[in-house]
Amino acid sequence: MLAAYAQYWRLNLLTLFEYRANSIMWFAFALVYHAVALGALYVTMHQFPSMNGWTFREMLLLYALWMTGHELHNALFFQVVGVPELVREGGFDRFLVRPLDTLFQVLIVPQQLLPDGLLLALVTLGIAMPFSGLRITPLLLFFVALVVAGGALIDLGISLAIATISFWVVRVDTLRWAVMSLEQDFTRYPISIYARGVRVVLAFILPFAFMNYFPATFLLSKQETGLGLNPVVGLLTPAIGVAWSAISYAFWRIGLRHYQGTGS
Amino acid sequence: MRAVLSTPIIETVDLRKVFRSPRRQPGALGALRTLFTREYEERVAVSNVSVSIQPGELVGYIGPNGAGKSTTIKMLTGILVPTSGELRVAGVVPFEHRSQNARNIGVVFGQRSQLYWDLPLVESFELLRAIYTVPRDRYRRNLDEFVALLEMEDFLRTPVRQLSLGQRMRGDFAAALLHDPKIVYLDEPTIGLDVVAKEAIRAFIARINAERETTIVLTTHDLADVERLCRRIVLIDRGALIYDGDVERIKSEYGRYRTLVVHFAQPVASPSLTGAELVAHDGTTARLRFDRNRERADLLIRQASERYPVEDVSIEEPDLESIIRRIYREGYERQHEEAPT
Repeated sequence: MLAAYAQYWRLNLLTLFEYRANSIMWFAFALVYHAVALGALYVTMHQFPSMNGWTFREMLLLYALWMTGHELHNALFFQVVGVPELVREGGFDRFLVRPLDTLFQVLIVPQQLLPDGLLLALVTLGIAMPFSGLRITPLLLFFVALVVAGGALIDLGISLAIATISFWVVRVDTLRWAVMSLEQDFTRYPISIYARGVRVVLAFILPFAFMNYFPATFLLSKQETGLGLNPVVGLLTPAIGVAWSAISYAFWRIGLRHYQGTGS
Repeated sequence: MRAVLSTPIIETVDLRKVFRSPRRQPGALGALRTLFTREYEERVAVSNVSVSIQPGELVGYIGPNGAGKSTTIKMLTGILVPTSGELRVAGVVPFEHRSQNARNIGVVFGQRSQLYWDLPLVESFELLRAIYTVPRDRYRRNLDEFVALLEMEDFLRTPVRQLSLGQRMRGDFAAALLHDPKIVYLDEPTIGLDVVAKEAIRAFIARINAERETTIVLTTHDLADVERLCRRIVLIDRGALIYDGDVERIKSEYGRYRTLVVHFAQPVASPSLTGAELVAHDGTTARLRFDRNRERADLLIRQASERYPVEDVSIEEPDLESIIRRIYREGYERQHEEAPT
């Protein structure tokens, strides 16, 4: 297993070296994407200096926490997002006739050479933390690291669940698109600005609020007004991440037994 | 009679696969609604197939498009879980022990390569060595043998994307066999290849089967592959098994129509022979079909030369392709009953 892992990585690096231009384009894309999102946030906040008691500086922290968890997911687990396409094209079949864990084989397929999106996120987070008025202490950094890891696992749970659904329903693009826009749109602002139904979904069903809103509320010592919970729930992010990805992995294992491929 | 004494390496009993898919809902949120729908479409892909294959056999698994060949192979390889029925491959139920099964088998999908597209061919072999934990010396020995047999020396260091289809296919064969699998499934291994490349692949398959006693299950559309390689064929149509036995037997059972080809010294208008049916005629050449169980070729030839200025005659035996085409068209059972015994 270890030898296979090393070999996979060697091949991945070789492949990625073949596509340097592609890696550079990915970086440019990530840069533009996040710059536009932050720009929009800035313009919005220029109009409304505060949103339900949140300032632009605090919302920058909100964005940076989500971004870092999300980009960590992209750096480590992005191949899971590609599973529905692999299923549709039939490439997934190959993973099932090799003597290695199927998910391991999915994760090891080559992706970006540099986790450039993640680096960009870390820079943003590095600016956002002091900017939002947090005192940088080792304990804070430790907690933020756990939040980011938990956030990545929440994202993984969702990618894995969608990938598993593709074992039954070959086309899941619409679902993927819907969940992704939900994630992108509803993580930018404190969830307290949304209707109650949306808040419940973001906290308990697709727990994106645990990627940034709850931990940021806790860190900034704010009153949690979204669902009236104790801000201490912000500490639960890592546990939620582990639970979510574990449930999704169990679902994945069940899904493999029902895998239909392309149905031929 | 080794085959009779040993236990089967592949055995299926009433193997069945029904694909069940939600009825697709239209519209922008169709995929979401499809998830929660209770309407299903069912399609029987493989219907109660019982087959048993002995170690070292080379079996042609034949059927028209959509007959269920690929689905069967996917169940045997552990990719798909059967809807019902029993299945054992080298003592293992494939889908229950995918990993263990994977070590026993090699798979070549003719239409889908397992090689790393962007990297030199040999890099994919190195990866497979690590995946299957093949000991160095055995890997070296196998690789050397395959490189020699498949003449891969010249393109071993070429990125796979630059290989011709024939070269890539040879690479895929080596990739599937590096870990000395007991069983090899070949799904359309000669598809799209030219005559020379096909022959190279066929010679390689025959050799692996003979020398390593590897059990081989071959699915193909090219019946020349089967005629060249297999003694036994399993025929499947619309998911059901319709024939399992010797290639020679099916030929003698179905091949009762032979064709007498007569060339005339000068054009003959509408030639006819008693006991034979004119199927094609262009003035100087006539093709006449006859039932070899009812008519004797030598008598027909004599009859022809008595009536017409015959220059040359030849007899065409039915090939497997035309036989199989007829079976698909007319069904096996009916034909079988009609055939005089």
